[in-house]
Amino acid sequence: MSQLVWNGLFVGSFYALVALGYSMVYGIIKLLNFAHGDLYMLGAFVGFAVLGAAGGVSAAMALPLLLLVLMLTMGVTGLAGVALERVAYRRLRGAPRLSLLITAVGASFALEYGMRAAAGADPRVYPVRLGGTTLEVLGARVTLQQLTLVAVAVLLMIGLNLLVTRSREGRAMRAVALDPKAAALMGIDVDAIISRTFFLGSALAGAAGVMAGAHYGKIDFMMGFLIGLKAFTAAVIGGIGNIPGTMLGGLLLGLLESFGTFWLGGEWRDVFAFGVLILFLTVRPTGLLGERVTERV
Amino acid sequence: MHKAYGTTLAAVMASAALLTAGCGQGLLSGDPGSGEKKNEPIVLGMLIPQSGSEAAIGPYMSNAAQLAVDEINAKGGVLGRTLELKTADDACDPQTAAAGANKLVTEGIRVSIGGYCSGATLPTLPIFAKAGIPMIIPAANSQELVDQKLKNVFLINGTGTQQAAAAASWMAKDGATKVALMHDNTSYSKDIAVRTQTLLDEPGGPETAILEAVTPKESDYSANITKVLAKKPDYVYWTGYFQEGGLIARQLRQAGYKGKIMVGDGSVSPKLIEIAGPEAATGLYATMTQTPDTLKGAENWIADYKKKFGTDPGPYSNQAYDAVRLAAEAVTKADGTDGQKVISALEAIDGFSMFSGPLKFTPEHTLSTGGFQILVVKDGKFALQDDLQ
Repeated sequence: MSQLVWNGLFVGSFYALVALGYSMVYGIIKLLNFAHGDLYMLGAFVGFAVLGAAGGVSAAMALPLLLLVLMLTMGVTGLAGVALERVAYRRLRGAPRLSLLITAVGASFALEYGMRAAAGADPRVYPVRLGGTTLEVLGARVTLQQLTLVAVAVLLMIGLNLLVTRSREGRAMRAVALDPKAAALMGIDVDAIISRTFFLGSALAGAAGVMAGAHYGKIDFMMGFLIGLKAFTAAVIGGIGNIPGTMLGGLLLGLLESFGTFWLGGEWRDVFAFGVLILFLTVRPTGLLGERVTERV
Repeated sequence: MHKAYGTTLAAVMASAALLTAGCGQGLLSGDPGSGEKKNEPIVLGMLIPQSGSEAAIGPYMSNAAQLAVDEINAKGGVLGRTLELKTADDACDPQTAAAGANKLVTEGIRVSIGGYCSGATLPTLPIFAKAGIPMIIPAANSQELVDQKLKNVFLINGTGTQQAAAAASWMAKDGATKVALMHDNTSYSKDIAVRTQTLLDEPGGPETAILEAVTPKESDYSANITKVLAKKPDYVYWTGYFQEGGLIARQLRQAGYKGKIMVGDGSVSPKLIEIAGPEAATGLYATMTQTPDTLKGAENWIADYKKKFGTDPGPYSNQAYDAVRLAAEAVTKADGTDGQKVISALEAIDGFSMFSGPLKFTPEHTLSTGGFQILVVKDGKFALQDDLQ
């Protein structure tokens, strides 16, 4: 039982990290950024390229090196997110929502198949892998590296929450989310705030990408597709636009999948997880924490 | 979501191609051979994955087929005509495969010698059947292909039934008691897993602990693995493809599984060992038809291949090479490229020498013996463990 909970929380923390970017972007410009999962993929490949350039490293150095690569990748994917917004979304901000949605789908394709052209269709394997010193925690097998990854994910999420709720920057984001026109009249540079939101969301997705690459080992150009859908689902469960809700949504989806697999078998996992989602949304269309609309970013 | 767009688009393109193919066939329907001139090359068509998840396999097959074509042409070709190889990408995807099959038909191929992913090969069967083109399928081997009962379809790889039999007999021989079967819900993979389960359910020998399906293309299979390990198996048999296979082998070991792991022929790829990592991969078994590494007396052939393409041959290189030779043999025996006559010639073949042994087709157009053997991962490579003879 505790193993199931741990499996769910571990997968869920990846969903949550990716879902945050979805949620923040939706909160601020009401755009479902379908290219977001592909920024996760981009992060995994950037990390792969940096590690490849760094050459061989000893096992003892693996974790510090990975953390360094993680920071670097977050910067790169963050900037990629900003560029994506600048090129694909900004000019369309006044356009009908559907145009923006289709542009997002187009951006997703462009990133996926651009990466295929650049890196090839073959899956790649990370040169540095996090193995496992296994611990028994309350009857569940947990590796130190898994704990580290979850700790990093939690720290990133706490940092993000502090940034949004406590800083001037965050206040500006919330203001833009509430009413972009009024925010602009109050002297907030709306374009700059939106760019920063994209930077933060994409950086988190990139971090998740590197972590997935280092933990699971295998990366490929389509790896962002499925997790993008899952993260979107997580964001909706939690209440899209709401940051703590999105984190909870990610963890909840991970747990649903873990228990669904155990109780009903692999074929029924998605039926179970998404069936619960549909039921839940008919009862609570705004998601877990969706009513706190004033807080959304 | 955008996958749905892609699918619709591919479906539209496929149906457009189908229309064109239909027209072309109407023109030729009187006599399939009448449209071509005697001095033109005989075109062989090959559908293989050149992109997508199984893209790594494509070149192994097309290179080997090209090697056979060049060798035959150097000896004067077939019936005084040269052979020509045309490839198309099936991306291991049914829609792409159907579009590719229609493209090959309109390009005037006489024999199809492709087919790796069973799920992608299945929809191409009726397309080639309608056009009267014989198919020699080198790799795809789901029982579903046989169950279509199409006269133009010949399988020169062992079938799912034969693979399941090999798996069950090896596990019994190796002293397994409780076997967990894992598949990815594709027709090919599920077929082997379910057939293995049927064999294990017979009294005596190992028992099935669990039949578990996973969702392909994911990274984390820990939930499935927790479920499988709760049944305490001492053997896990994965029947899907290598990407998931590598992840599952690794995650099984991380979860503390100490028993044995075996994979099906779709997982036999050097990438599996790379993804699983050397520790998790070592000692892993596989059910596989003959590969260049396990062939006896194929050193010259491997050297020729290496000289031409600069790389070693890989899985299904030998079957693709044999498919071309078999097509050439059948066209020679049929004294022309008439589809019906080539099919009859293929049915009549007895004792044609191939890597898998002398060939004679069963009434279902499959190999009379599957030729499956057991490989084991040793020193980072698949090596022969037991030939099950």
